[in-house]
Amino acid sequence: MVTSKIRYINNLLNKKEISCTELTNKYLEKIQEENKNLNAYVKVTEEEALIVAKKVDEKISSKGHLMPLEGIPMTLKDNISTKNIETTCCSKILKGYVPIYDATVWETLKSQNAVLLGKSNMDEFAMGSSCETSCFGGALNPHNLKHVAGGSSGGVSSAVGGNIAVYGLGSDTGGSIRQPASFCGLVGLKPTYGAVSRYGLIAYASSFDQIGPIAHTVEDAAIIHDTISLYDKKDATSCANKGIMTADKLNDSIKGKKIGIAKEYFEGIRDDVKESILQAIKIYEDLGAEIIYFELPELKYSLSVYYILACAEASSNLGRYDGIRYGYKASHYNDLNEMICKTRSEGFGKEVKRRILLGTYVLSAGYYDAYYKKAQKLRGTLVRAFKNAFTKCDVILAPTVPMTAFELNFTSIDPVETYLTDICTVPVNIAGLPAVSIPCGFDSNGLPIGMQIIGNSFEEHKILNIAYQYEKQVGDKIYKNIELGVKL
Amino acid sequence: MITRDDILKIAKLSKLSIEDEEIEALTKDMAEIIQFADTINTAVEDENMEFDNISNIINAFHEDEVIESFDSDLILKNRDGGEDGYFLVKRRSVN
Repeated sequence: MVTSKIRYINNLLNKKEISCTELTNKYLEKIQEENKNLNAYVKVTEEEALIVAKKVDEKISSKGHLMPLEGIPMTLKDNISTKNIETTCCSKILKGYVPIYDATVWETLKSQNAVLLGKSNMDEFAMGSSCETSCFGGALNPHNLKHVAGGSSGGVSSAVGGNIAVYGLGSDTGGSIRQPASFCGLVGLKPTYGAVSRYGLIAYASSFDQIGPIAHTVEDAAIIHDTISLYDKKDATSCANKGIMTADKLNDSIKGKKIGIAKEYFEGIRDDVKESILQAIKIYEDLGAEIIYFELPELKYSLSVYYILACAEASSNLGRYDGIRYGYKASHYNDLNEMICKTRSEGFGKEVKRRILLGTYVLSAGYYDAYYKKAQKLRGTLVRAFKNAFTKCDVILAPTVPMTAFELNFTSIDPVETYLTDICTVPVNIAGLPAVSIPCGFDSNGLPIGMQIIGNSFEEHKILNIAYQYEKQVGDKIYKNIELGVKL
Repeated sequence: MITRDDILKIAKLSKLSIEDEEIEALTKDMAEIIQFADTINTAVEDENMEFDNISNIINAFHEDEVIESFDSDLILKNRDGGEDGYFLVKRRSVN
């Protein structure tokens, strides 16, 4: 049986077996030790964390009962705005930028006295699959420091996997929560587009971006989801999640539930990854689920559609970085235009520039119809293909990534080869669907393998229920106890 | 095939300046990326192929009410306080 880490700590705090200040200090001390190696945090917010911890201790002393996330030490990806705390997107162009407002997700967690330990590392503007495009250098994988923690939310997965945060919030535009969760043996949930407010999330590609949790167990992810999935009038694409809570549905029986397998997801993936997922399918059969096999040929266009549309949106979103209002500003220039060009050229890293150029290209006269418009049409085709698939099954089971965590510097060699590693994650973002990545085994080097369970829009309760039943059946063996960080 | 001149043109549109030594590698990378993006042009178009609304989301509009805004001094803090309540920029050169 896998124990929810959040519930376990909540219980310790409520029973006064540890005070929140002691707990927070334990995490802060371990961050000092481990972050030198992991590079998970780009900013540690010690003072803020201890102020909240004291508040939580006062509440416990006055016999107040703690809410599930109250007093739990956590981290936020550095593209989630935090009032009065520097937020850089791990880009030189935003160094020194201090938001004057909180992202809605952080406002919600703050109101529950979540203890923010610090802001975590990420690929610059969330553009990357290894965290190595960060201007602070990449975050490392706690399972093996010669491998990356994944990306773009690599700092969150490194911190949570290395036990220097209990959980974290990341963002997922093309797999940036699920892939690092898979690489670090954790649970990562990308909610339905619109389920969680994006207000205060620094934009990469607005029609794809979504905030979600990276945590140790499925129940942890469900608790966090149920807290942050709220309607927000500050985000015009935010939907009330139709009142569906997930944590109380985890124990529902999955007997007779239909799990879909689309053969295209298994093309070109490594044998050991495939083998682990086939074993998971057997476990689901034992649990009484029905496995449905079908084809989803539209998937072959998904990577191109994703890169065309996401880069087009990025080229527009990143137009705001001009050195006038915040962040980095070039020092030597003769006029306004030169100031803007120099600021952007000196401030953005190589991968960000590449994606801005690609986005500008596909939106420019003469290429718009062939690329942008065609990709939008194919996006519609993919949305309809998934809708049709969900008439045959409740969820779709697929690998999260075709391989395990890359060795350091793998992604700097060939951009196209790197983009191809996102093949299994991007379809979900194109169609705005929810998906959860959960560990399902290890490769011969002991690196975690992940699988993802994809659901229809606003059916987070179904995917988390199906993930939880698997976790309950296989138990702790899918999780490895890492000898790093805080032991409780 | 994307050329060096194409790269310079889109860099100008993107307000990015590309160093001479970067152009060759960037042209090669962009050519590969665009070739890969071209996969979509193997898809046969039909009349029904239109973009569909993901998740059937309807924009959540709220009433157009005047609400309290951020204090301009606070906003200007991210640019050394500005001057007289304004951001300072260099005059645009007139050619």
